Amino acid sequence: MSRSKHSLPLFAAALVFAAPLAAQNPPDLSDPEVAHVAVTANSIDIDAAKFAQTRTHNTAVKQFAATMITDHTAVNQQAAALATKLGVTPADNAVSQSLQADAKKAHTALESLHGAAFDRAYMDREIAYHQAVLDAIDKVLIPTTDNAELKQLLTNVRPAVAAHLDHAKQVRSQLGAAARTGK
Amino acid sequence: MLWLVLLLGLSKPPTAMRTVEIRGMEFHPAVLTVAVGDTVVWVNRDIVPHTATASGRVKAWDTKQLSQGQAGRYVARHKGTLRYSCTFHPTMHGTLIVR
Repeated sequence: MSRSKHSLPLFAAALVFAAPLAAQNPPDLSDPEVAHVAVTANSIDIDAAKFAQTRTHNTAVKQFAATMITDHTAVNQQAAALATKLGVTPADNAVSQSLQADAKKAHTALESLHGAAFDRAYMDREIAYHQAVLDAIDKVLIPTTDNAELKQLLTNVRPAVAAHLDHAKQVRSQLGAAARTGK
Repeated sequence: MLWLVLLLGLSKPPTAMRTVEIRGMEFHPAVLTVAVGDTVVWVNRDIVPHTATASGRVKAWDTKQLSQGQAGRYVARHKGTLRYSCTFHPTMHGTLIVR
């Protein structure tokens, strides 16, 4: 069995961080912690996209990755500006650490792949990641945020994450009939 | 001759400025009907950059990248139904009907 078939279920399992967190007992994150999670989530996707740009030869995947870099950078700039305005210093926390640990595993798995196998695995990962982030926004981040402006920023970002998810699915469907790895 | 030019100028119907807001990863309104000569302005209200780019090989217009708060415009010169999208976000579509 190829390595990708092992690694992708791992992503999927790791990436559903939002589900257990949100299920019965969503973590009561402070606003500085919510800000840190938001910045971390954006940075992870920027790094993944930068890596994808060095690895893929597929035009649609390249364009998707370029959009991820542009959009998540724009969101992080807004988040940084808001944090400065509010005098909030983003605070590291368990959710951010879990995201970073997941990202590291995902990166390790993607590093071993090339060509069409890489494209499929990267897009599968982006689908799972954006779905997990969307769930986290809805079930953890927005409900636990106290500050109205931070809540509004998260609300404004949500449609972009949803559009990225649809975009990722669209690109993935163009990558051919090969079975989705890890599904 | 001058008289003719003035007459043509006066008889020309007034043109309007019509705005499409880009917010929540959508064009609002998604379908806009304008008259020939009207100017369509796309204003980006989202955090992320967008474009409003006519579909097809020969693009009637392309606002290029619009960051938050920026606007792009197009003067509708020919009748027809023109579809457009955001080049960064292929899930975003709009239609401009010129009558």
